[in-house]
Order: sequence, then C-alpha cells, then structure tokens
Amino acid sequence: MNDDKEKKLISLMAVRRHDAFWQRQEKKILAAAAGRPSHRKAWLLAPAAALAALLFFTARPQTPAPAPENLVSTAFLEHLDMLDDMDVLEAVPENEL
Amino acid sequence: METEKKTGPEGLEGKDPENAFALLIEEHQRLVYAVALRLTGNTTAAEDITQETFIAAWKHLKDFRGESSLKTWLLRIAANKARSYWRWKKLRNWVGLGKGEGAEDAPALEDLLPDRAGDRPEQAALAADLERRVQAAIALLPPRQREVAVLRAQELTMAEIASALGMAEGTVKAHWFEARKKLEVSLGEYL
Repeated sequence: MNDDKEKKLISLMAVRRHDAFWQRQEKKILAAAAGRPSHRKAWLLAPAAALAALLFFTARPQTPAPAPENLVSTAFLEHLDMLDDMDVLEAVPENEL
Repeated sequence: METEKKTGPEGLEGKDPENAFALLIEEHQRLVYAVALRLTGNTTAAEDITQETFIAAWKHLKDFRGESSLKTWLLRIAANKARSYWRWKKLRNWVGLGKGEGAEDAPALEDLLPDRAGDRPEQAALAADLERRVQAAIALLPPRQREVAVLRAQELTMAEIASALGMAEGTVKAHWFEARKKLEVSLGEYL
C-alpha cells in the first residue's frame, strides 16, 4: 500500500461527531466524576472479577469452603472495588511503579 | 489528531481541579472515544470506557510520573478497559447470557449529522453506511492487529503505539503491515 492509500485509510477510520456530542460527553464525564460512586457496568469489573476468581481458586486448597451465606461478604465487595483500578495500574509502565 | 501533551500533568498544576479535569477531557476525549469505539464497535461501551478512563486517570494522576506521555497513558487505560469489555462479552457468551444481543449498536443518526442543515439526510445516511462498513472491517481483524490499526488511525506514531500497548516497535510495525493489507481488501472501494 502506498502512502496516499494509507492516508485515505486512516482518514476513513477516523471517528467524526458533532460538537454537541463532545460537549454532551464532557458534561456526562464531569457529572459522573462528581457523583461517584454511580452504577457500574458489569464489564468494568471484569478484571476484578477475574482476579477474585483466581484468588478464590488458588486459595481453595488451604481453606475450608465457606458457608454459602458468607460467600459474598462486605470484604469481598470492597476488594472488588479496589481491584477496579487494575486497568489503571496495568497501564503504568513497570519502571514507573 | 490530538496535539501531544498540551495538557500534561504539569500543565494542570495550579489550576482549579474542576477546570483542570475539564481541560483534560476537552483535550483528549475525541482520541479516547475514537479508540474505544473502534475497539468495541459499540457506542454505549465506548461512552462508558471514555468516562471510566478519564475518571480513573484523574484519580491516579498523582501516580503518573510523565515518563510516557499523558496521551499514551490514557490510551493504554482505554485499551485495557476495551480488553475487559471483550473478556466480559466472552464470559457472557460462555455462560449463555450473550445470546440475542446485537453484535454492535449503531451511533445515533443525529451524532453523525453534518453541521449544514441542507446536507443532512443524504450525508447522514452515507456517514452511517460508511461507519458500519469501517467498523465491520476493523472487527474482522485479530485483536492485536485491531488495537494497532485503531491507534494508527488516530495518527499515533509507531513508538507511541508501542508505548500505549506495551509492545515492541517492530511488533507494532508487523501488526500494522498485516492489518492494513486486510483493511485494504475490506475497504478497497473507498481507497
């Protein structure tokens, strides 16, 4: 592919929206930031859930199975909230940690 | 294309926090949203990813030491969130909850409308059709090629893409080479 085609391809893949769209989005982000914690989309907890599942399975041999009523404890939920930051932590280069 | 690092952490110092946050969003939201949309093909998910990316970045800005650019850091967060989105989709499909969901959701037509009212119906229809075709072509790419192509489409350099995705520059070049060959086939009529 030549440079001209590459430029056209890049231009085709650009995302174009109205100014009103960007203004609306900015307001939504600011409102969400001010009003936290808001409802979370389930998929935003995916990395936390994956790690929680990993911790659960790796911890199983050492600990007896918890009673069903204790499975979702407050501590577990707090843990999930903390792990929600994984996307950010993963984004920090190792030499910056 | 977004201008590199106009709003770096040092550029936000001394500003009222709310204004500084608004400035950060204004500067980078187009880039972050475009990447999120092209990586997920879903406008609702793209809006959520954009929102979460900025909130998370703002919360952790003090941890950011500026060894990479703010732009690539934001994009890396957004790309990680897009990966989470796909993991979640996969999990839902695996447990049978994803059946019947539309593969993609289309942008609202009014968001695609041009500013000049006279051009609206025709141009909006063309824009919507093109949007679908471009998104479909991107969706055909394997995940890593898709990530590289989407960042390249934002006119990031190979080095910036490598930094944002945590890949070697040579790997980025190889992925882009393969991706653009496939995109040329899919979108050939527009090139």
